[in-house]
Amino acid sequence: MQSGPLFSLLFDPGTVLRDLARGDRARARAVRRYLPLLLALPPVSAAIGGSLFGWRLGTPEPLYLDAGQAVTVSVLYLLALCFGLFTTVGLARWMGVTYGAVGSYRIYLAFFVVVCAPLAVASLAHLFPQAFFNLLVMIPATIWSMTLLYRGLPLVLHVPPERGMLMSSALVGWLLVAAVSLLGISAALWTAGIGPSIRI
Amino acid sequence: MQNPNPDVDNPKEIYEDGVVVRLVQFAVLWAVLGMAVGVWVAAELLWPTLDFGQFWLSFGRIRPLHTNGVIFGFGVSALMATAFYSVQRTSHVRLFLPGLAWFCCYAWQLVVLLGGLSLLAGWTSSKEYAELEWPFDIAIAVIWVCFGIVFFGTIARRRIRPIYISNWFYGGLIIVIAMLHIVNNLALPVTLDKSYSLYAGAQDAIVQWWYGHNAVGFLLTGGFLGMIYYFLPKQAEQPIWSYRLSVVAFWAFTYSYIWAGPHHLHYNAIPEWVQSLGMVMSLVLLAPSWATMINGIMTVSKAWTKLKTDPALKFIVLSLAFYGLATFEGPMLAIRSVNVISHFTDWTIGHVHSGALGWNAMVTYGTFYFLVPRLVGVPLHSTRLANLHFVLALAGTLLYILAMWFAGVSQGLLWLSVDRFGELAYGFREVMAGMKPYYGLRLVAGLLFWGGTLLMAWNLFMTLRGRRPLAVAPPPVPEPWRLTRGPVAAPARVGA
Repeated sequence: MQSGPLFSLLFDPGTVLRDLARGDRARARAVRRYLPLLLALPPVSAAIGGSLFGWRLGTPEPLYLDAGQAVTVSVLYLLALCFGLFTTVGLARWMGVTYGAVGSYRIYLAFFVVVCAPLAVASLAHLFPQAFFNLLVMIPATIWSMTLLYRGLPLVLHVPPERGMLMSSALVGWLLVAAVSLLGISAALWTAGIGPSIRI
Repeated sequence: MQNPNPDVDNPKEIYEDGVVVRLVQFAVLWAVLGMAVGVWVAAELLWPTLDFGQFWLSFGRIRPLHTNGVIFGFGVSALMATAFYSVQRTSHVRLFLPGLAWFCCYAWQLVVLLGGLSLLAGWTSSKEYAELEWPFDIAIAVIWVCFGIVFFGTIARRRIRPIYISNWFYGGLIIVIAMLHIVNNLALPVTLDKSYSLYAGAQDAIVQWWYGHNAVGFLLTGGFLGMIYYFLPKQAEQPIWSYRLSVVAFWAFTYSYIWAGPHHLHYNAIPEWVQSLGMVMSLVLLAPSWATMINGIMTVSKAWTKLKTDPALKFIVLSLAFYGLATFEGPMLAIRSVNVISHFTDWTIGHVHSGALGWNAMVTYGTFYFLVPRLVGVPLHSTRLANLHFVLALAGTLLYILAMWFAGVSQGLLWLSVDRFGELAYGFREVMAGMKPYYGLRLVAGLLFWGGTLLMAWNLFMTLRGRRPLAVAPPPVPEPWRLTRGPVAAPARVGA
């Protein structure tokens, strides 16, 4: 196992991606080991921030969730993240046939862990749940993740760069649609009365 | 770059491309001006005193100036340019009545200019996207009919048997917009600057949003699909992935779009079944919309090697992704239980701009980068600038959408919050005061997008400077496709 894999994941992703491209199984395993931590960071941060400090959506007073409701919302958040990640891996493998991508399921999964790592770590911003602050933190994290996707995909999955750009764009299209779906489903559930009650 | 043809010696055989160049120039001019006004509007939402106490600079007057400038100035000029260019190539014949095409070009610019000034002066019918008063409505109807005569006259004189799919979309645009414009603007004039709609109350609202939504549908979607069906295969140097799918998508799109307007009036004083019908037809619309997106993506997938050298193709690929996003988000926002949160919030503004910036503007930019060098027979002035424009356009669009998503969802939730007495927890002013950071971010996004448009304007100006359009004549039509005016055996399959 390589030294400091979490550090490499965040600050030296180029080396990690090159190792994955070489089919380095030890590196892929080491990366995948961080998957539970990275998946847990956003919902745990949101639960702590939402119940202790309250969400600030643009008004001076924060909106609090009861601890129980915060946990329920966070568990659903975790499930949505798991669904998003594994569906994206599955879709990428399916698309990979069209774009001539080469790689095992484990390599695909490790690659998407590398891509998502900046977003997961940036979600520590949920500890201070001020909506605009979170937006400001997530924008550079999203740019970094997209850069890793566009640069890393051709390398790791052995696709010519131009073809990799098309495959990456198709995946970004899917992720945008997934994000909008999540917004819409949340809004519809909330309107139907399935959602937390907010303390003001 | 165009194929030389012996018929260039005969001026009556040469494609009329001068009017195409002029319309592209006007479209770019309106893009720069219209988006500059948009940036000013965004700044006014942040600093309301930017109107300097002048009525003509108030939000209520310059917001319609922005929408009319970009939709009718930029959008329609681009659609006329690309329709005139492609209908000649796909019909293998010079434009029908070229003088009338030139009349459409200049008369349209005059209407946009004077119409814009009338909006600043406070003339308005108060109907969104149909604000112009009756003298302009009549002028628009006349010009639009002339546009139709040139377009359909060219198709009627075509020398090739099939009518290519892009022409079906452009034709749909011309016919449906004429119908919508005339019906929605039926009014009783009382003075030069004031008229009253023939419809009243809820009927007025239904007719207005039948117009409003289908203006989005047949102008901002159908017209631009015509653009993509001609220019995407040309850029990719590949035939459309599935021609049959494009024809199915056209008829499905045309049939289902026209019913979707009432989703703009959810929870309003119109019958609930009309709202439900609008919602269901909006959901049905997803199928033809995504059929076109898939057709486009599969077409460009075969031309991936061109992405290295062709900045125009990048714009087209990205525009397809945003087209997919916007046409998914639209039906979702039409669901009544989602609409209860999103309506009257900035979520809608974000949705509109994911389509307007990400789809309409980007597909047009990609088309112009392809079209202008070919019109004058020289390479693009600077590929580097075009690539920089691509980055600015992408960054501007994403920032805009993100800022409006956050602002819109926050507004929707706060406006629905009630306190322990069951009363609304937050007032309108209170919520809007909290939106300043998002509006600041939106302003930055607008500046980025506008900056990219300025780069394109410079790039195209330098490409066109001092040059005239090449003289190009229609190539001969091969025998199975040649249109003779007698009975002809139908070909088995239609090619692009």
